[in-house]
Amino acid sequence: MTEEILQPDISGPVFNHANGRLLMPETRYWPTDMWKSPWSLPTYRRGAAVLAGLITGGAAAAWFLGEIGPRLAPVYSFIEAYALAYGVPAVLIQIFWTFIKGGILLLAPLVNALFAVWWERKISAHIQSRMGPMYVGWWHGVLQTVADGIKLFLKEDIVPDCADKIVHWLAPVVVVIPAILVFAPVPFGNELVFADIDIGTVYVFAVGGVSVMGIIMAGWSSGNKFSLLGGLRSAAQLVSYELPRTFAVLPVVMLAGTLNIAEIAGFQAGYWGGIIPRWFIFYPVVGQVAFIVFLIASVAETNRVPFDIPEAESELVAGFNTEYSGMKFALFFLSEFAYVLLSCLLMAAVFFGGGAAPLPFLEFLPSWAWFLSKVLILMFCFLWFRWTFPRFRVDRLMDFNWKFLLPVSLLNIAAGGILIWLLS
Amino acid sequence: MKNYIDFAADAFWNTLKGLWVTLKVLFLPAITVQYPTEKIVPYPRFRGMLAYDAEACIVCGMCVRACPSKCIALAKAAPAPAPVPVEGQPAAPAAKPKIAWYTLDYGRCNFCGLCEESCPTKPKKALWHSLDYEAVFSTRAEMVRSWKRGDDLWGTARNTAEGQLVPVTDQIHIQSVPVRK
Repeated sequence: MTEEILQPDISGPVFNHANGRLLMPETRYWPTDMWKSPWSLPTYRRGAAVLAGLITGGAAAAWFLGEIGPRLAPVYSFIEAYALAYGVPAVLIQIFWTFIKGGILLLAPLVNALFAVWWERKISAHIQSRMGPMYVGWWHGVLQTVADGIKLFLKEDIVPDCADKIVHWLAPVVVVIPAILVFAPVPFGNELVFADIDIGTVYVFAVGGVSVMGIIMAGWSSGNKFSLLGGLRSAAQLVSYELPRTFAVLPVVMLAGTLNIAEIAGFQAGYWGGIIPRWFIFYPVVGQVAFIVFLIASVAETNRVPFDIPEAESELVAGFNTEYSGMKFALFFLSEFAYVLLSCLLMAAVFFGGGAAPLPFLEFLPSWAWFLSKVLILMFCFLWFRWTFPRFRVDRLMDFNWKFLLPVSLLNIAAGGILIWLLS
Repeated sequence: MKNYIDFAADAFWNTLKGLWVTLKVLFLPAITVQYPTEKIVPYPRFRGMLAYDAEACIVCGMCVRACPSKCIALAKAAPAPAPVPVEGQPAAPAAKPKIAWYTLDYGRCNFCGLCEESCPTKPKKALWHSLDYEAVFSTRAEMVRSWKRGDDLWGTARNTAEGQLVPVTDQIHIQSVPVRK
């Protein structure tokens, strides 16, 4: 057998080992081979460069824009002066301004849903070595969510025959309205808060709890056993996990001496020894435990994997939103991501110092940029958990809450008291 | 109490391990190949669609006998008239036998590679598996590829619309597909 190497004829059919050797310079074999040295792939290097460029560009844009909060004051005074000159009563201006601010605030959950759904799909895809949406939009499927939203708008809205029509119609409304209202006292940066109320923390937990009602209504009114089971599970889960979630914040509230979320964030400004930020997460033991308990309870509160028993796909079809289609389903989805954003905002404000920079020399970036980046990192954690952990069983879910999280959070409150006593 | 704390610590540690696994995979490149626009070139010993070279074939019938699913048939062309022997010179070698027609039924072929293995021609085999894995048939008649002398390596197939034997044009040369960007 001669070992003569014959040049392959590329114009004809491909030759195999018996008819000359395959000599294409860029022959690829199986895709997992590229895992051996990902940095040798041009596409991987380009991806890393794009990521670095996005971060740098975002930082540069944030530095260029500067603080947004103080910039809005001249706008307000301009509108006020203009309206007063035409004899508009001051009360009307206040109402008008409140509506404008409310409109801007409403954008937060909407834009967040557009972005977070895309991000979730991309991250889930890459954790499973897939690519996720790639075609819609000009870059890596960024407009996929917009296309899905249009599709949901145009879809038929089906109400089952045996459903309680009024309650079935009302349930998404009851879910989504608290999900938007709850953003009122949450800061998005220094001086970027819709309603700077003193009981912000209590308000957030109270209003957020109303959404459970909507989920139970959805489950009950659908006339479907899966929906009903999902609604009941959801009620049990959300009511249970409210407790450790609230208790986890209590040490922070005790330490800061205020319930106002913006003030809690402001309390954590400054650095220990000029390096370690005075964020609550860095308070020994108490801070970390409180954060972990709050994170776990937040994942449970937002009905996400591994705590997604209300809509467990493999057990309950889709749980409480089985019988919902079109825009009503989209509203449930929107509220889920709104609550994820809310949890991330709360964690960023309460445990990560809000708009404070992690290191003193990074303070040139405005507070909203730091807030946004902390929120994005925390939101990434939510998505990361979702695609890592399997679902809890219902009884273990309750065990975990009542036998672990609740005692730990109670002990943590005591530890927080001791810490305050030591610090004073 | 110690069991409780041990259990919690163990669960926490295993949770972190799981998170580390998914984080590692997250930053590896995706192995998805977006098929219609990018295609894998298979391993060199991949057994794809059969290519047949009518000029190289010596019509020995080894492939017909080797085929376990009896999907190959062929016929020898009438031999050319023997050259008139010239006095004082050695007799001219006998002309190589030529193929009249050669058919291969992909409806029966199981891509075992025995026909290629048994093909005795040197240095190139007359029948071999290419690397091409893209084959679409809409009728059974189309699955039968046939070759005559002068046909290209993919042969001809019976067209669905007109029922005529036409050259196979939709067989893509997988090697000439651009590699993934």
